[in-house]
Amino acid sequence: MAAERAVVPWDSPEPLSGPIGVPLVDLLDRVLATGVVVSGDLVIAIADVPLVRVSLHALLSSVSERVPAPWADGGPL
Amino acid sequence: MTHRAHRDQAPDTGVTYVFAVCRGTRATRTADVTGLVGMPGGAAVRLLPSGPLTAVVQTVPAADFTDEVWQSRLSDPREIERYARAHHEVVSAAAAHGPAVPLPLATLYHDDDRARRALDDEAHRFHRVLKRIAHHAEWGVKVYEPATAPEVAEPVTVGGGGLEAPAAGAGLAYLNRRRGVQERREQRRERALSVAESVDAELREVAAASRRLRTHGAVPGGDGRVHVLNATYLVAEHRSEELGVLVRGLGERTGAMIELTGPWVPYSFVGEV
Repeated sequence: MAAERAVVPWDSPEPLSGPIGVPLVDLLDRVLATGVVVSGDLVIAIADVPLVRVSLHALLSSVSERVPAPWADGGPL
Repeated sequence: MTHRAHRDQAPDTGVTYVFAVCRGTRATRTADVTGLVGMPGGAAVRLLPSGPLTAVVQTVPAADFTDEVWQSRLSDPREIERYARAHHEVVSAAAAHGPAVPLPLATLYHDDDRARRALDDEAHRFHRVLKRIAHHAEWGVKVYEPATAPEVAEPVTVGGGGLEAPAAGAGLAYLNRRRGVQERREQRRERALSVAESVDAELREVAAASRRLRTHGAVPGGDGRVHVLNATYLVAEHRSEELGVLVRGLGERTGAMIELTGPWVPYSFVGEV
C-alpha cells in the first residue's frame, strides 16, 4: 500500500485513463464514498453509507497507522 | 438494512451487477465492452438497454457477493483494491463513449429485469445527472502541509561551562522552548488551513460544482506531510486546461504542495441530483 502512494498522480489532462496508476486512496474516496444513486436488490449494506464509512475508516487507518495523524480529530474537515 | 442479502438464493445463482448507466445513443448501444474483465469470477461484461438508457452490467455469482463476503472483503485491503479497480475499469470504459453515471461498488439486482425496472423507476434522475455531467470531468485536488522541519535544538545558553550545576531558570527555559514548539506547530497548521481555503475558493471559480472529501491526515510512507484539503471539482471539458494552469500557479504562489488527479468519471457528482 505504501508503494501505491508513491504513484505519481496523472498531472496532465489526458483522455479518461484506465485504472493503472490511479492512487487507491483517491479511488476509494470515489468508488465507495459517493452518494447512492439507486438501491440494489442485494448487498445493500455495501452501498449503505454508515457501513462504508466504518469499514473505510478501518481500512484506511490500517493504511496509515504507521504515521498517526497529528491531531486527534483526523483533520480540519 | 444490513442483512438484506438473500439467503434463499441457490449458491450458483447469477445476479446482475450494474457498473454504470449511459444514454442509449448509437455510440453506447454499439460499444464494444467484450474486452473488459469486470468483477473477478463474473461472466462477460455486457450492455443492458432499457428504454432510452443503457446500463453496463455483468452477471456475477451471487455467492461471491453476499453481505458476509463483502464484510470480509472490506477488511482486506488487497481484496478491496482488486474489486475497486475492477469496478473503476469498467466505469471508465463506459464513460469513453459519452456521459456515464457510475453506480457505487456492488450495486446488484436479482436479474436483468429487476435491474431494468430500477433504471426505469429512476430514469428521470439518471437523465438529470447525465445532463449535468455531460462534457464535464471530475478533478481531485489535494493540498498538503509541507513536512515538518526538524525542530532545531536551540543552543542552551544557561550555564557557561559543562561542569557547573544548571543555573536557576533552566527549567523555565525548557518549558518556554516547549511552548514555542507547540505554538509554531499551531501556526503552521493555521497557515496550511488558510492556504487550503484560498486554493479551494479559487478553484471553485472554474468549477461547475465542488465537494469536500475527507482528508487523509498524515501521509503514509513517512515523508511527514499532512493532508489539509481533499476537494473535488466538476469541471467543463473546455476548462480543464485552465484548471491545470491555476493549480500550478497556486502551488507556486502559496508554496503549498498541491496534487491534481483526474480526469475522473464524475463519481462525486452523481449522488445529489
